[in-house]
Amino acid sequence: MLETRKRFHDELAALEAEILQMGERAQRAVDRAVSALARRDAPLAHEVIEEDDALDAMYKDIEERTFNLLATQTPVASDLRLVFAILHTSVHLERVGDQAVNIAKMALATMDLPASPTIVSHLEEMGEVVSSMLRTALDAFIRRDAELAVQLETMDEPVDRLNRNMYREVAILASDLQALEWGIRMNVVSRQLERVGDNAVDIGEQVVFLRTGEFKEFSDASHPGTPEET
Amino acid sequence: MVAQPRAVTALIGPSGCGKSTFIRCLNRLHEEVRGARVSGKVLFDGQDIYAPDVDPVEIRRRIGMVFQRPNPFPTMSVMDNAVAGLRLFGGLGRSEIRERGEEALRGAGLWDEVKDRLDEPGGRLSGGQQQRLCIARALAVEPEVLLMDEPCSALDPASTFRIEELIEELKADYTLIIVTHNMQQAARVADWTMFMLLGEMVEVGVTSKIFASPDDKRTEDYVTGRFG
Repeated sequence: MLETRKRFHDELAALEAEILQMGERAQRAVDRAVSALARRDAPLAHEVIEEDDALDAMYKDIEERTFNLLATQTPVASDLRLVFAILHTSVHLERVGDQAVNIAKMALATMDLPASPTIVSHLEEMGEVVSSMLRTALDAFIRRDAELAVQLETMDEPVDRLNRNMYREVAILASDLQALEWGIRMNVVSRQLERVGDNAVDIGEQVVFLRTGEFKEFSDASHPGTPEET
Repeated sequence: MVAQPRAVTALIGPSGCGKSTFIRCLNRLHEEVRGARVSGKVLFDGQDIYAPDVDPVEIRRRIGMVFQRPNPFPTMSVMDNAVAGLRLFGGLGRSEIRERGEEALRGAGLWDEVKDRLDEPGGRLSGGQQQRLCIARALAVEPEVLLMDEPCSALDPASTFRIEELIEELKADYTLIIVTHNMQQAARVADWTMFMLLGEMVEVGVTSKIFASPDDKRTEDYVTGRFG
């Protein structure tokens, strides 16, 4: 097949490669933030916070380059969908980076407080799941695999469940003021991990859009099928 | 394929795919080409325009055409150009002809620019104005359909946008079918877009669908420039 817009398509491919790099960085940031929290590793938490600048810079770069492509190349059809998917995905990954930073900050703020091993293990479990969700979302993106992307919603269920139950586990700590302070911050961490999972699901929705041209939310949080506790 | 009434349908496809030939079949202009033949049917208001009792001249009045290069009669005055087709059909008085000429020039969005130059030769207008003069000439005979074969390819961007605005206005009263090499023009002006390749009508759809997520791989490859 004769390629008539090689420079444009090369730039699109380069942007997609940068999205993948961004995804790997974001995933690593989440892994390390949870690890810093569980192991009470202050230097590691500081590294997570410092390294977020690189993620922000990548986001700015992708935004600028997609903007230029829209201004100068008038992409259409699958190219247009790819430009949009790249832009949306970069926003989601930038937020994942911020969520990792929030977790790292919570780790630093609670270094000297007593911890509940049950809660820590639940947070680690959530961290593992959302990390693999990010990996899956990016794999689905590269492979344009809508079926794989749809599975993210199921993968997200245990994360939502653990997050919903977190406040009960924190409430158990109420008799010890210091433990309670730690617990309240862990509730924030839980919420951040749950948001990472949501961002991975949102990237999955972009993959389906990329593939089909139709944008569908996998589930609608404002109109849930079953009543949920909050 | 079906061209929707009071809408703009764009025909896109690589050079030589048969776009111009196809639209020339729609008003029986193609048969003027030596050795040309036509197969299939063209129904206009349910009537086969190639039926033996149909007058091709009447068909060409009802289905007008504007070409790639503005082709006003260069020495004929602006007004005479606008009413040239009308005169051919005869039956109208001088003042009536002039009224229809003004109406056509207004319809083509040219009146305000030429109302003081009606007696000047048509060839003295700018390229964009000449093309609108040709549109006025086509409108003067009160067609129902307007075929446009690359109407902007010889024009600068400002004149092109002016014609595109005009196409949008004409849609209220006419059915338009436009052949264009400029895909962005199709995306801007057309409600429906058809993609042709090697004489085959590959895909017809709502314009936003053709340019956002076409069904056929060949359409996708063409609009994204993966083949030219």
